Amino acid sequence: MASALVEQLLNGLTIGMVYVLLAAGLSVVFGVMDVINFAHGELFALGAYFGYAVATVDGGGFWAALVVAPLAVAVVGAAIERYTVRPLYGRNPLYHILLTFGLVLVLKDGIELVWGPRPKELSAPAVISGTVEAFGFTYPRYSLFVIGIGAVLAAGTWLALNHTRYGLVIRAGSMDREMVTYLGIDIDRYYTLVFAFGAALAAIAGLVLAPRNGVDPGMGDSVIIPAFVVVVLGGLGSFRGAVVGGLGVGVVQTVMRSYVPVLEGLVVFLLMIGVLLVRPQGLFGDPEFEEAGDLFTASGGVLTDARRRQLGVAVVALLALAPLGSGVLYSPFLLNSLFVTVLTWALFALSLDFVMGYAGLVSLGHVLFYGVGAYVTVLVVMHAVPSVVLALLVGVAICLPLAWVIGQLSIRVAGVYFAMITLGFAELFAQIPNKVTQINALLATPWLPTWLRLPALRGNRGLFGIDPVYGLTGGPGVGAVQVVGGVDLLYYVVLAAVVGSYLLARRLMQAPFGSVLQGIREAEQRAEFVGYDVTAYKRRAFVVSGGLAGLAGGLQALADGGVSTSYLAWIQSGKVIVMTMLGGMGTLYGPMLGAGAFFGVKEFLLPVTEQWQGVLGVLFVLFVIFVPEGLVSIPATVQARFAGGPSGGTPVEEPDPVDREVGD
Amino acid sequence: MSLLEVTDLRAGYGETRVLDGVSLAVDAGEVVTLVGRNGVGKTTTLRAIVGAITPWAGTVRYDGEDVTGLSPEATVARGIGFVPEERRVFPGLTVTENLSLATHGGSDAGRGRSVESVLDTFEPLDERRDATGQHLSGGEQQMLAIARALVADADLLLLDEPTEGLAPLVVEAVADLVRNANETDGITVLLVEQNVATALELADHAYVLDQGRVVYEGTAADLEAATDVVDRHLGVSID
Amino acid sequence: MAADADAHGSTTIGTADDPVLETRGLVKRFGELVAVDDVSLRIPRGEVRSVIGPNGAGKTTLFDLITGVLAPTEGSVRFAGADVTGLAPHERVARGMSRSFQLTDVFGGLTVRENVRLAAQAARDDGFSPADWLLRPTGSFVDVLADAEAVLERVDLADRAGERAATLAYGDRRRLEIGIVLATDPDLVLLDEPTAGMSREETAATMALVGDVLADRTLLLIEHDVDLVLDVSDRVTVLDRGSVLASGTPAEVAADDDVQAAYLGGSR
Repeated sequence: MASALVEQLLNGLTIGMVYVLLAAGLSVVFGVMDVINFAHGELFALGAYFGYAVATVDGGGFWAALVVAPLAVAVVGAAIERYTVRPLYGRNPLYHILLTFGLVLVLKDGIELVWGPRPKELSAPAVISGTVEAFGFTYPRYSLFVIGIGAVLAAGTWLALNHTRYGLVIRAGSMDREMVTYLGIDIDRYYTLVFAFGAALAAIAGLVLAPRNGVDPGMGDSVIIPAFVVVVLGGLGSFRGAVVGGLGVGVVQTVMRSYVPVLEGLVVFLLMIGVLLVRPQGLFGDPEFEEAGDLFTASGGVLTDARRRQLGVAVVALLALAPLGSGVLYSPFLLNSLFVTVLTWALFALSLDFVMGYAGLVSLGHVLFYGVGAYVTVLVVMHAVPSVVLALLVGVAICLPLAWVIGQLSIRVAGVYFAMITLGFAELFAQIPNKVTQINALLATPWLPTWLRLPALRGNRGLFGIDPVYGLTGGPGVGAVQVVGGVDLLYYVVLAAVVGSYLLARRLMQAPFGSVLQGIREAEQRAEFVGYDVTAYKRRAFVVSGGLAGLAGGLQALADGGVSTSYLAWIQSGKVIVMTMLGGMGTLYGPMLGAGAFFGVKEFLLPVTEQWQGVLGVLFVLFVIFVPEGLVSIPATVQARFAGGPSGGTPVEEPDPVDREVGD
Repeated sequence: MSLLEVTDLRAGYGETRVLDGVSLAVDAGEVVTLVGRNGVGKTTTLRAIVGAITPWAGTVRYDGEDVTGLSPEATVARGIGFVPEERRVFPGLTVTENLSLATHGGSDAGRGRSVESVLDTFEPLDERRDATGQHLSGGEQQMLAIARALVADADLLLLDEPTEGLAPLVVEAVADLVRNANETDGITVLLVEQNVATALELADHAYVLDQGRVVYEGTAADLEAATDVVDRHLGVSID
Repeated sequence: MAADADAHGSTTIGTADDPVLETRGLVKRFGELVAVDDVSLRIPRGEVRSVIGPNGAGKTTLFDLITGVLAPTEGSVRFAGADVTGLAPHERVARGMSRSFQLTDVFGGLTVRENVRLAAQAARDDGFSPADWLLRPTGSFVDVLADAEAVLERVDLADRAGERAATLAYGDRRRLEIGIVLATDPDLVLLDEPTAGMSREETAATMALVGDVLADRTLLLIEHDVDLVLDVSDRVTVLDRGSVLASGTPAEVAADDDVQAAYLGGSR
């Protein structure tokens, strides 16, 4: 028994040390530069792959890899900082999310291009294989090695931060960047260094974990979220927090796996949510990081309202008539699959923009509502009534109060912390489909009614084979009714739902409710002092947004004929943020345009190159640097450039920007 | 020739113009003060000189060299020391750390004064050398901010509201410090002050700024006598 | 708003001049720093009261305590006969308190008209059904629009109503801010340095506007311009390092030796 516990602890500390190495870089990079680096996980993976390459080449080996790989990744990190992150300093951390999300795609695709999608094996040298015995227990040498190297690096980092001039400048920079420059110090140089150092630590983490967990292209994805949890738990920007948080999360996770399996995977998120609610700045964090930089919301552009309305009607008419060409000009697949996907994601992006562009709340957990909407819709069809309409309505009806509760808990924390707490909630829900049995076992108490128990969700395999109908309980099935050219009637259902939702959102923005949201976006303090309950308005916007996201999820699930855990994966939240920013936040049609552009480019690239993800990633990176206001800002920028005013870059102002898109 | 020469400086933030053609000159060894009401562009003038913002137009010449638009790193390396408003002491660093940050490292070993020699002349700081910035009193923070510029070997000190929010007794102490730096160490000072009385006590020469322009220039004694100027542009009676 | 009488009936209310605002022993500490130290104010209805003091004396912190941005460490705030110490800013606004900020704060991306309309809409907030609130276009709320137009006329911005607030010149933006304050129909207005950075002429114009449109309200003013303060105030309170150094009529305060020493930097 005792030996099992020692083994658990040792395992926990091993994983914990890997988290420490990952989180130290993430946290220091955030503390000094305010950059949220989602690509940190890919740098971790890159470390493992570089290590694999060096270890398996002639004359190489594990120990050579341990030296070469971190240096190589440090160079990559320095290049990333110098050429992509640096142009964005001073902007809202949100832009770093978009930027680094693009970098994730680029790096991941690069890895697959060079090393292929199959996992690789990297074995540890004999010296650190096997076990040693001491004090009556057996320890795996490998764990001791990881813990040892982690401890040495953490101690070294601590010494460097606290007892060298470099460390002094970096600490001062995280407190007051501007003042450091007033002392004649070129802080940009230090930024590159910090980023490269963080990348090297991540690379070491990836490499030391490789002999145990293998090397595969998904390894970055699997660690980045726990690493963020560690950083937030410990306090953004706090090195001490990263160490304590990393070891704590590693141990708690491992121990839970053996003793309370139902909580495995849940506990870290519960921990994070709990800590943020009690102490929003994390265990060792500074409360100052809630300050945000400039957020660019798009402005109306060059079209008049009437012209924009005509354009909108024309687009809807084209979409409505599109089935006529199906089978002649293009295959029905284009409408049934691609167009339906674009439309549901347009709705998802619209829902996100409702909170992000209008209420300034960057939700990293919006996939929660999308996924819950999808699951509920499918479950209603399977177990209650097969009606498409009722199922969608129930999905929305569940998402509304859910959004109210999560909004109530989350909106009290601001900025990056809000993003992280919503991510935490989303990850909690993402675990549910794989834990139905355990959760039901917990619920199987006499005083709880049996209907409270969860239905079977079949984990990662998902729920498929539903047979919804257009009537209330009977009538034609979804796959059965086709309009012209092999296009399903469902296409029209989706189109109607999306257009209807857009009109509803537009109406809300024209009414007092929406006008207050726009006021909050412009000047939150002023809105409060005009007499509006800003928090309540944000929460209401969050509820509306949650409902629309649930509808989007439900529609997509119907189109897919079922639902699986991928509907709850955090990467979908990232995607929808990317689409929203791509199109232009703060307008209702911009994000929808962004969804279209996202899938359009993807569809265009797919037959051209296998590396379409990488190309897409490069596009995002260029986009966030050069067109931060999104696609909708391009016409105005172009017009200003060619209209040739003396200043050239001044955007063209709308005569009445309040009503820039909702005007009547 | 003046140590600092600012000619027709125009600058602002975004679309808002703050400086509308400011010209001034500071001779080596002088204390010059720049006074005016809140929001007339005093701080912006200092920020444009040190390079924290890029001027829209006009020139800044320091020691005969055109430094317009150079970064703070470059202007500080040439001997301009900027002590911004609210002191901006690093709250989590000790007094010694705050000071040693300002040394130019190994490469410029010849320049600047050592942390120890500066601490010798700032006794109250010497006693609190291991206290972190956040635990210092306002007066100690201001002392540290000035000491920091001395460690960085400033020949010209740009001081932005050094007596802001300090008790009268401490104001006197800070004034003595500035006088000392000027008289003993030969450091030239450009002083922005809200507290006109203290400013005129220290300064040889004064400029009055209103709405982004210099509206008065003269010796400190002249300005003190020019009650109409004080009344019109400073809005504070000094007696 | 005066009908909003205090139900809990606490001790010392009931003197002849019913104060619209009363603070009792307000203290605000930030760590070791005492920003506001035992400040008690009584401001009768209709008074123009100025708060002056050197930078860092705690004036803006005092405003933050009165308006609910900060919670006091000790002490209470009573407004219109009720204790409002625990209320959020928007709840105090709803009871008739309004505030302008040191740095002009308007809805920059919205039009001048929309700025004022939002404030007028808030003032009539309780008169709408949820359905109207969510779905009825703002253009159809005739009363709110009329309120907004009336305010635009009074602050002389009617001909600029369609312009984006961010593009207004500084003085116009200050006027818009006063318009926003007016549109919330307050009993008590707190103005934080309304004339900061203005020329003599602009200052005079702004104060004339304040005197005109806010004539029947109670005003609490933070100002640097001593002449202006002595000119417009009924009473003046001088803060120094967080506590009240002196309080009285302009003439009394101007003659006070302590005030001379603290506020005028110890000169003469």
